[in-house]
Amino acid sequence: MKRFWVGLAALLLAGMAGSASAQTMSYAEAGALIAKTCGPSIEKFCGKDNLGTGAIRDCLMAHQDQVPQQCFDEYAAARASITKRIAAQGDAYKTCNASIREACAGVQPGDANILTCLQTASKIVRPACKQVLIDAGWWQ
Amino acid sequence: MTRITRFVGGLALAAVLAAPLAGSANAQSSDSDSQIMQGLSQATMFDPSLTAQVLRQMAQDAVAKNAPLTLDKSEIAKRLDTLAQITVQIQFALGSDIIRPESYRTLGAIADAMHHPILWNYKFIVVGNTDTTGTRAFNLKLSQERANAIVQALVTVFGISPDRLEAVGLGQEALQVPSKPQDPINRRVQIFTIGTLGPMGKPVPTGAP
Repeated sequence: MKRFWVGLAALLLAGMAGSASAQTMSYAEAGALIAKTCGPSIEKFCGKDNLGTGAIRDCLMAHQDQVPQQCFDEYAAARASITKRIAAQGDAYKTCNASIREACAGVQPGDANILTCLQTASKIVRPACKQVLIDAGWWQ
Repeated sequence: MTRITRFVGGLALAAVLAAPLAGSANAQSSDSDSQIMQGLSQATMFDPSLTAQVLRQMAQDAVAKNAPLTLDKSEIAKRLDTLAQITVQIQFALGSDIIRPESYRTLGAIADAMHHPILWNYKFIVVGNTDTTGTRAFNLKLSQERANAIVQALVTVFGISPDRLEAVGLGQEALQVPSKPQDPINRRVQIFTIGTLGPMGKPVPTGAP
């Protein structure tokens, strides 16, 4: 039974790795997604509320019966992706510390020099570092 | 004066950044996304004397004096021209500071650039501008409120540190096309790179980890 669950988890992970949903979206894509699925409801019901105040979310909830469920789903997906990407961008330097020391000795920080170095040295960059850079949207 | 030392590497990276978008539904905007990065990371000289406070004061003085419009660019506009910058169109509800949903994507694209390692240590001024429709004082107030709204969204929705952003409304005091003061082209948001938040850090130490 245990083997079954491990197998299922591996399958799920493999499936996710091949789809876009496992990756974070760019902030532009997240903004576009909210606008696409919630924009019409925001314009209709929340015309006095601004982004970034929390008021739009409250307003959409207050009109829950008239707002498409897809808006709530994709709003949540966009916010979750933004949160994940912000966290990855904040953690990247620390998570990649070992790889940076191994691969980028002497590199002057700034102007994305360290990121460029890691990309050049991609074969020796550690998996955790690579993953945080993928989540940060910085890994090609 | 500090110089932004960003060169071929940065520009190449900005181009690479735009590349994955080309395969997605947002292909049509990838050009402007890379332009945002390029504009904000232009190699340029900073002008430490040109602060948000100085800009606000210049605009307030111009409104108080009711200085006549000229066909030349205003002093404020001329000084701002020297900074690394982008101009974007953000759609607001009529006469208010409510950002319309169609512009959420643009705000996200600005956040993508500001969060990228190329710009991680830099500070920005977000400037709101109007055309000359409406009164001068109202335009000054509205543009400040709109700049504030953009900063608020960048901070609370897209996680940009508030230490890196200042909002300035210039009203109609920095027209893009002074010969056509009522042209909507003058209604725009500009973002200027104004300096670094902290020291750039020391080189990665050499030797064993």
